[in-house]
Amino acid sequence: MWLLLMLVILLTNGMSSFGLKVLPAWGLPSSLKYPYLTLWYAAGLVCIALPLLLRGWKSGWKEVGWGALLAGLSMGGQLAMANALQSGLPGNVVFPVTIGGSILIVAVAGRLFFAEKLHPLSWTGVFLGGLSVVLLSVS
Amino acid sequence: MKLAVLMCLAGALCFGLMACVSKLAERKKCNTSALVVWIFAWATLFMAGQSFRLAGKFQLTGPVVGLAVGLGICAAVGYFAFQSSIALGKVTVAWLMMNLSAGVPALVSIYLYGEKMSLLKSIAFTLALVALLCLFQGNRLETRVNASGEAA
Repeated sequence: MWLLLMLVILLTNGMSSFGLKVLPAWGLPSSLKYPYLTLWYAAGLVCIALPLLLRGWKSGWKEVGWGALLAGLSMGGQLAMANALQSGLPGNVVFPVTIGGSILIVAVAGRLFFAEKLHPLSWTGVFLGGLSVVLLSVS
Repeated sequence: MKLAVLMCLAGALCFGLMACVSKLAERKKCNTSALVVWIFAWATLFMAGQSFRLAGKFQLTGPVVGLAVGLGICAAVGYFAFQSSIALGKVTVAWLMMNLSAGVPALVSIYLYGEKMSLLKSIAFTLALVALLCLFQGNRLETRVNASGEAA
């Protein structure tokens, strides 16, 4: 099951941001970004909410609060990255630092706060994967 | 420039905290589907506000609508899978997988737009492949060690 989830993450999550690359390639203005992202989020919302609503789902306040916090962090990260780029820092610095930095933060937090013990082979994978992500964002 | 570097670090902190908060929400036994619904609901609300504030109108062509719907569904399924996976495995590995997935659109754009496969990209893809093998094999070994520990 875990392996299947990892494959789903690998195939779906990366492709989800592909649209922001396609829009300029189609010659569309950058002002279209916000309406596009509104529909993008709304489609995701309907895709997960619909099956829940059909099963007569009622949400608890706990999920509302955690969801708001996560949405805020996601948009905060995007805005910070956009501001760094607008301030003149090149993309080959911004992307490796933000993405590589977040992987490092999660690895440290996983060890310190969530007591996650990884096999040495997994640590090697985390190191090589982090390096690969940094190289991908530079290239 | 100093502000730009600070913004860069703030971005890393926000994304890193996002994964940690997801793990905390899982520990607090939040319903995975409901959590993803609320993340997307808040983000939709914010983006709709931004659209009306900056663009003032909401005009999208058919192909753009199709693209947004298809890839939005991909995003929701991806985050749902991430949130589900951290209940079964390590958040460090799942977060790395979320970031490694950036290699897939890079491969697709090489195929679709005929982008050049530079030496740096080739090294990155090779490293990603080796990393995936290490992670999957590492996970298998951890499962085996845990199973033998429980049996003993």
